[in-house]
Amino acid sequence: MSSFFRKLGWMAQRRSREEQLAAELQFHLDEEAAERQENGTAPHDAHAAARRDLGNLGLVLEDTRAAWGWTALAQFAQDLRYGARTLRRNPAFTILAALSLALGIGANTAIYSFMDALLMRRLPVADPQSLVVLKWHMSGKKHARDSVVHDVSGQINDDPRLGQVSAIFPFPAFEQLRQSNRVLSTLFAHRPSRKLNVIASGQAEVTGGEYISGDYFQGLRVTPAAGRVLDSADDRVGAPPVVVLSYGFACRRFGDPARALGQPLVIDNIPFTAVGVAPPAFFGVDPSKSPDVYLPLHADLLISPTRDPGPVGRYIDRNYYWTEMMGRLRPGVTLAQAQAALGTQFDAWVAGTTTNDVERKNLPEFLLRDGAAGLDNLRRTYSQPLYILLGMVGLILAIACANIANLLLARATARRREMAVRLSMGAGRWRVIRQLLTESLLLAVLGGAAGILFAVWGIGFLTTMLSGGQTFTLRPELNIGVLAAAVVLTVITGLLFGLAPALQATRVDPMPVLKESRAGGSRSRARLSLGRVLVVSQMVICMLLLVGAGLFVRTLSNLHSLDVGFARENLLLFRINARQAGHRNPEILSFYNDLEKRLAALPGVRGAAMANSPLIGDGAWGWPIVPQGQREPEHAPNGHGSGFSRAATRVLGVGPGFFSMMRIPLPAGREFDERDRAGAPLVAIVNEAWVKVNLGGGNPVGQRITSFETSAKPQQLEIVGLAKNARYDDLTGDFPAIVYLPAQQNPAAPVDEMTFFLRATGSPMQYAGPVREIVRQADPRIPVVGLSTQTEQIEQEMAPETMFARLCTAFALLSLAIACVGLYGTTSYAVARRTGEIGIRMALGAQRGTVVWMVLRDVLVLSVVGLAISVPVSLGASNLVASLLFGVKPGDPTAMAAAVAILLAAALAAGYLPARKASRIDPMTAVRND
Amino acid sequence: MKQPARVELLQGTLDVLILRTLMGAPKHGHAIAKHIQHTSQDLLQVETGSLYPALHRLEAKAWVAASWELSDKGKRARYYRLTPAGRKQLAAEQSKWEMFSRAMGLILSPVDQEG
Repeated sequence: MSSFFRKLGWMAQRRSREEQLAAELQFHLDEEAAERQENGTAPHDAHAAARRDLGNLGLVLEDTRAAWGWTALAQFAQDLRYGARTLRRNPAFTILAALSLALGIGANTAIYSFMDALLMRRLPVADPQSLVVLKWHMSGKKHARDSVVHDVSGQINDDPRLGQVSAIFPFPAFEQLRQSNRVLSTLFAHRPSRKLNVIASGQAEVTGGEYISGDYFQGLRVTPAAGRVLDSADDRVGAPPVVVLSYGFACRRFGDPARALGQPLVIDNIPFTAVGVAPPAFFGVDPSKSPDVYLPLHADLLISPTRDPGPVGRYIDRNYYWTEMMGRLRPGVTLAQAQAALGTQFDAWVAGTTTNDVERKNLPEFLLRDGAAGLDNLRRTYSQPLYILLGMVGLILAIACANIANLLLARATARRREMAVRLSMGAGRWRVIRQLLTESLLLAVLGGAAGILFAVWGIGFLTTMLSGGQTFTLRPELNIGVLAAAVVLTVITGLLFGLAPALQATRVDPMPVLKESRAGGSRSRARLSLGRVLVVSQMVICMLLLVGAGLFVRTLSNLHSLDVGFARENLLLFRINARQAGHRNPEILSFYNDLEKRLAALPGVRGAAMANSPLIGDGAWGWPIVPQGQREPEHAPNGHGSGFSRAATRVLGVGPGFFSMMRIPLPAGREFDERDRAGAPLVAIVNEAWVKVNLGGGNPVGQRITSFETSAKPQQLEIVGLAKNARYDDLTGDFPAIVYLPAQQNPAAPVDEMTFFLRATGSPMQYAGPVREIVRQADPRIPVVGLSTQTEQIEQEMAPETMFARLCTAFALLSLAIACVGLYGTTSYAVARRTGEIGIRMALGAQRGTVVWMVLRDVLVLSVVGLAISVPVSLGASNLVASLLFGVKPGDPTAMAAAVAILLAAALAAGYLPARKASRIDPMTAVRND
Repeated sequence: MKQPARVELLQGTLDVLILRTLMGAPKHGHAIAKHIQHTSQDLLQVETGSLYPALHRLEAKAWVAASWELSDKGKRARYYRLTPAGRKQLAAEQSKWEMFSRAMGLILSPVDQEG
């Protein structure tokens, strides 16, 4: 080590050491000459002999410097200086190259930081590696409900390999596994709550909560920031209602976590006491949510006592799936061992819950998953889009690299004489390559540094775009890992675009090059073909991105021109939940009615209506409703959810005047009005899709139908109207079958949350303030949720598609620009090299048009080759994004044709400028030049 | 033109010869070369091309230290002297060389040794 510092010290005084070495050798020569003179040699001869004896002075100097031990460093510094000088001499090239690299590296870094945050980050708890998530899956095409899974509250997801996958279990399964397993040191249960109305320090807020079993915090090894965590004594029927708050919520409402302790809160009209505050970094176990209140699991009996299947039923029903579970592996137990042990136990338990042979054949199979990163809801949503984005930005970087490689190649040819001179002077080939690589690395570092700046901006931009207004629990940032990735990427790109041109440049036979005249033709066919390969591959990448952009733009325009079935203009909507604030039947109905009247009376508001769900983007209610006399269909959806089949009946409870206000036409029958209240004959309005599915067509008005809602007895209703099709739940696909019921008649579930619609004259958002004020006057405990215009809400629903369309278009244009610059560079270079030839042709009578065509022909050949390769490639690659498209097939001919046309036009434009320049060559000058 | 009577230096021997030469008073490069030549009775000739790199290498390893001083003739010359580390190194190298030359001698001329 000390020798390293000594060398470093010498490095600092390098100049003086050089002088000393020269003096030392001079002394040696003098001494030798003096000695020879003493022996009788003539002074002149003595000096010459001494000099001869010493040998090659330069070599001695070089060897001695090598002994100083920092030659490599010195050479590197020299290379750096030389490289910087070369880059400064070509500012246009340098800026262009660094800029395209910066965009490429920056985009990659930004996307990677998202992957880092959303896909790779671990839970901020102690020893996350030993956490596991319990799941089950059911292979085969059978619906999960054709099995022991009679009813669910939670998510079941489709997986291409495993069939249906879910993390919800019956509560008895949790108890069974917790009591008798030997592989987990702890097993805890949790489930997200619906949005809760939380009133703290006098202010109402609708926010997310998490129901947790008593050992949730202990199991996760989370210590509270203040107070205590919940324990098993809190999680039982009849325990005093207590909650743990999130750090953010405690600060927001009480200013300080410590001050939150012992404070009363009202959650959905039930009084709770805050006993603790979670640590700042903790967001629960699902990165897609961040609950503000952690309630004991059994507190849901207080908050939603009437939820299916009855108050205590959910804790003993062995076929009702709703509890999520996580655990911690005992030390020394592997995931596979635990999977085997728990799997056996679960199999035995679940076999005991079957009631018939179909269920016995179709049992859920147990799955144990790594839980270090918590639940994978976020990863499931974002991994595919992020990988696609990463693919796109990777392609852009590739295009930028190819471009710089191409420019360097062209320059390498221009520097052939320089290289030949260096090599013939005895420079080692490796030494020259090293110097060229230093140059490209310097360029890469410039690009990388600018790229990181660009990434900072890009991360902010993407966060706004991806989140669509919500805040991310996991915030992407430029942490060490991301920065390291950016640095590695920079070095790799530097080597990538630098190596081939460096190898090419130094593979010269000095003699012919040195003999060549300056403007002479090139004999290096290899360079040409490498350059051409690069241009063609750029075209292929460009084409890929252009086709992608075309597909997403078409998707977006399809979405925008989508018929929603109602008039979305000038519509303001918001949701409130009076039940959570303590309103009950039948008072709640008049409360909502009064509110609707007051809203409609606002000056400038043309009308108001209400429904028990927004129409778009918030799922749908549904249960079987069939013509009278038909039996209840089996396995029809029942409850609230999203993505029911088109034929399944969706049910929407609406207020009087809903159809005229929303402008959903009624071809037959009448609208709901004040007559349709509780106690009056039960009525319904059906839409055309429902009629088609259930009656095959015709006018249904006057017919009777039966509603099978699980929590009530079957009810008979009369159809009083037929409505045109309109959207409910999804924006896309065929129109669903809908039965509209009067909200007033409350045919089934108790009146709960209500969505209000206001038709305004002019911009609807100007009524946001008055609306909040009216609701506050009606009941200050009820917060207004989801206040937005209908147009905005639909835009929000299309946010992923919009983002993809915009990003992909931007990426495609960027890559097109880069590729055009590359093509322009290569063509200009080719023209410059052929100046002599073109001059001769023109002197011999070639027309300007002929010359332009000659140059453009080359460009066309490259383009055609590029297209020939890229059309099948992009046809295949577009299948990767099929799931993100709407109303357009992956191999859409319009998108393809547009991409081909744009690419060809851009290529010809890039080629035309140099071609025109070629046609303006003055034959005399060109020929004389040689 | 090399004189046939001289032998080429073996790889790695120059360092130990320099260190040994510096056992006495500090010397400059030229004097070191001459000393080796004379002491070996002109059998060994040190190439200038390898002497200076070797000296600087030894200096980098801190086995010798250098300073500018006036020579006998009153000229400024770079004088090298042995450092304690160099002395230790020399002792180690010397015993190694003695063992090596004894072994070589035993194998190449066993009669001499017996006699």
